[in-house]
Formats: sequence, C-alpha cells, structure tokens
Amino acid sequence: MYLFRLAMASLANRRFTAILTAFAIALSVCLLLAVERVRTEAKASFASTISGTDLIVGARSGSVNLLLYSVFRIGNATNNIRWDSFEHFANNPKVKWAIPMSLGDSHRGYRVMGTTEAYFEHYQYGHQQHLELADGRAFAADPFEVVLGAEVADALHYKLGDKLVLAHGVAVISLVKHDDKPFTVVGILKRTGTPVDRTLHISLGGMEAIHIDWHNGVPARGNGRISADQARNMDLTPQAITAFMLGLNSKISTFALQREINEFRGEPMLAILPGVALQELWSLMSTAEKALFVVSLFVVLTGLIGMLTAILTSLNERRREMAILRSVGARPWHIATLLVLEAFALALSGVIAGVALLYVGIALAQGYVQANYGLYLPLAWPSEYEWTLLGGILIAALLMGSVPAWRAYRQSLADGLSIRL
Amino acid sequence: MPRVVLALLMLVALPLWAAEPKDLTWSEMIPPDAAPEVPNMTPLHDLSQMGNALAAESAPAAKQDMPNAPVVKSLDGQNIRLPGYIVPLEVSEEGRTTEFLLVPYFGACIHVPPPPSNQIVHVKSEVGVKLDELYQPYWIEGALQVKASTSELADAGYQMEADKIYVYELQE
Repeated sequence: MYLFRLAMASLANRRFTAILTAFAIALSVCLLLAVERVRTEAKASFASTISGTDLIVGARSGSVNLLLYSVFRIGNATNNIRWDSFEHFANNPKVKWAIPMSLGDSHRGYRVMGTTEAYFEHYQYGHQQHLELADGRAFAADPFEVVLGAEVADALHYKLGDKLVLAHGVAVISLVKHDDKPFTVVGILKRTGTPVDRTLHISLGGMEAIHIDWHNGVPARGNGRISADQARNMDLTPQAITAFMLGLNSKISTFALQREINEFRGEPMLAILPGVALQELWSLMSTAEKALFVVSLFVVLTGLIGMLTAILTSLNERRREMAILRSVGARPWHIATLLVLEAFALALSGVIAGVALLYVGIALAQGYVQANYGLYLPLAWPSEYEWTLLGGILIAALLMGSVPAWRAYRQSLADGLSIRL
Repeated sequence: MPRVVLALLMLVALPLWAAEPKDLTWSEMIPPDAAPEVPNMTPLHDLSQMGNALAAESAPAAKQDMPNAPVVKSLDGQNIRLPGYIVPLEVSEEGRTTEFLLVPYFGACIHVPPPPSNQIVHVKSEVGVKLDELYQPYWIEGALQVKASTSELADAGYQMEADKIYVYELQE
C-alpha cells in the first residue's frame, strides 16, 4: 500500500506530464469505445428495422440495393414496377398480406412514402412490434392526408391539422414543389427508432394526385393545371409503385414464391428475403468495420507508447531518487513495483477519463445523431465486450510498465547508492 | 504612379458596374406562349405492357417441384440432428438469427427449381445463432414437428424448435 502511495506522490510531483499522458490515453480509449458503440448500434438499428416480412419485391436490381431503398430509404430505386404486377402477387394464395410502397418525393429532407392502410396494420419492426399512432388516425379516403413519423413531427414542429407541401425529388431544399396541393396532418406515429420516424406517409392516391398534372417532366402550366378538388374526383388508382412487401401464410413457401416473382413474365422483378439481404449487407460492411477497429486499436497503442516514453525518459533524472529510496531500505523489486504501479495508475486514470469523455460525448451528441443519422446511441453501461477491451488496455499498460520497471531494477542493482551522473 | 493607382481603382470598381443578378425560377425558362403539352397519360414506363404481350410466347416460370410434397409423419416429435445451410428470416438486435429456413444446399441455387417443401425445415431458436457467412453449414439439434398438408395453402412441412446449433465440420 505504501508503494502505491509513493507511486501516487511521485506522479503528483510530475503532474503536468502525468496529466498529459493520461489525457492522451483517455482520448484514445474514448475513440476506441465510440467506434465500437457506433458499430454495434448501427448494426442493431439495421437489424431492428424490419421484422416479420418474408419477401421484399422491387424492380430488378441488386438485393442490397433493394433492401436499402425500400426499408432504409437510402439511395433510389432503379425503376418502378406496375400496379397490376403488385395486384397479381397480392392475390396469390400463398400471400397473407401485401404492402405497396411508392417513393421518390420529399418534404424538407424527409422522404415521402405512398402506401396503403396495410402498412399500419402489417409492417413490423424490432421484435415483431407493430406501428402505433401517438396521435390522430391513419389516412383515410381523402388523398390529401399525411401521417408523420415521430422524428418528422418533432423536428419540424408539426401537429395535427397542419398543412404542408410536398416536394418533387429528395433534396433538403427543393426548388420544385407541388404547392397547389397541400396535405393535412391527420396522424403522428409513435417513435420506433427506425427510418419510419423520418418518413411522411401518404396514400397511394395522394401520391398519384400530386403528379397527375405533370407532363413531359414539368408541372403543367395555365389550363393544364388540375386543382386538388378536381384531383379528388379523378381515378387515382396508381399505375406504378416502387416496391412492395409480402407476408406469407407459410414460411416454407418463401422460396417457391420468390422464384415465381423472379421469373415473372409480366416484367422483370426481384424478390429478396430481408434476412439474407441484411446478412449480405453486413458482410459488405465488415471490411470497413474491421479497418475502423484496427485504426482505433493503433491509436490506443500510440497512447500507451506515449506513456512508456514519458516514464522511460524520466528514469534517468530519477536515478538519485531511486538511490535515496534504496538508502532508506527499498529493495530493487520495490523500485520495479513502484514503476509498474505508476504506469498502471496512469492507464487506469486514462481509461476512467476516456469512459467519462465518451459518456459526456454521447449525452451531448445523442439528439443530433438521432435527428441527422437516425442512429440512437444509448447511455448504457459498457457491454461485456467493451469491458474486455478496457481490461485489455490495462493489461497492455501493465506489460508496458514492466519495461521501465526492469530497467530501473537493473540500474538500482548496478548503481546501488553510488551513482555517477 | 497616378496612372497605376487609377488602373487599380478601376479593377476594384469593375464588379460594381455589373447589375444585381436577376432571380430566375425554372418555370420562367419556358416561353409563356409555348404550345401547351398534349396531356399524355401513358404509364411511367412505356414498354411496361410488352412483357404481357410476350408472356404467352415464353415458357412458364420454373415452379417449385411439389409445393405440397409428402412428409414422413413418423418423424414427428423425434429428437433429431440435421446438417444444412441457414437462410435467415429474423435477425435480433444483437445480430443473431432467431428464425431461419434450413435447406440442403446453399443459395437456393437458381439453375434448378427451388427445393420441394419436404426439403425445407422452418427453424426457430430462442438464443439464435450468430451467422458470419451464409455458406457455412450448421448442425441443428431439436425435436422435429411434422405438419401434414391441410389445404391448398402450402403450410405442410417440417418445423423445429432448435435446442442446439453448431458449425458443421468436414468429417475426416
């Protein structure tokens, strides 16, 4: 114990170097943990976004691409698919439920999705949880009704009854708006922690209505314009949708239906199993993950080597100190233990400060990250794996501390009480 | 010297002569007296109906061989161990696959029709399994449930609540 006190006092004597060294370790530990947190949370949020859906169907492209644009609203579809193709498979006897989706428009940076009531009834996330309304109701017969995700309502301060204008394209600031056909907010969904929070849901009829008077790629001018009221009286059955999700009566028939859709003669389509596509996505990401992890490990190593250098350089100036310790009865192994303890104390305070830094960082960035990246970073205790990492850093520090300890041991044996500086 | 100063002054003053830029909207780039477009109500992709026209001429799609293939009822309730490839259906937040289809060959090979329903086992597992690669076969242990065909809907087949899932090693 007195050795530990001595080690502390010795560090306090060189407190400026000690604090800097501990701070370098703290920063590297914080980086390592932050990378680990973001990695696991990103994975968890991807995995919990879709559940209970057996097949996702879209225009023929790639499975990861289809998964990304249909479920995560990342990227864009290569093509639309026909409404009658959707109806063909929605009425298949193997199919229990079907959710059509029509994407491509936005409102102040949030994606707009056209769908049907089936979405609120059958879409599942997390552990087979259904969507719930926090306020209001799902959209009904009128095409100009919109149901907001929780994040959209929060960030843009919308409440029930508000009118909003949807824009063409998916930019934050859109220069072409469907401003003659405002939508009324009729419902706000409960927070789910998935991309649903950042989506505005309208009916397929509404999606059709805002594009009904577009000709040759521009909005109609003058007499060509169709007002919201005129649109209400028109046939708003969509001609095309972007993708659809299917739930099957029996999971065993998944492959059979998948093959049937992929070989559909009507038009080229692609059906994917979300679980398989997710697995493919992860094997894609794992290379980048590993690279990030290795980089942060090297940063930790740099921090520890900085500590080693600081202790080693101080050794020479402390030869007299060692000699005095020897003269009052310290054995060479006392000197060695003293140095190992110093290294350990530095690393431990670095690790503690690093964890504290991480939590302060998470607490500060939580809202921003959630709003902008849809990633929820919880203020949770370190996981088992994180404890192992922290333990590993401390053990590495002990091992590194034994290098100056060994040198000091040899020096104090050789020098004894008579040092020639 | 004064001339140089004058030249420099003119350089500074030059941008001031230019007028403020005019705000332009995209709709102003179409002349107001342009002929109105002929309303063209064709679907978003114009060749979309072609597939239907050609469908009659092409061969039918590969169907699953025997979607309601007969099952061995005597296997019901038996504790078995079966190797196979895992096709994930549900993935938990920890990234573990908790529900999957077990099939005898990887990737549901696209050159042949999909496996008949008696060659697929629908497996659920409480703990789940952490899949690294889809092409890694696994041993599955548990009691097999056999559901006989009840209707036209293909709900016949094998199901299992897995007790143990572990990596299949090549036997020496």
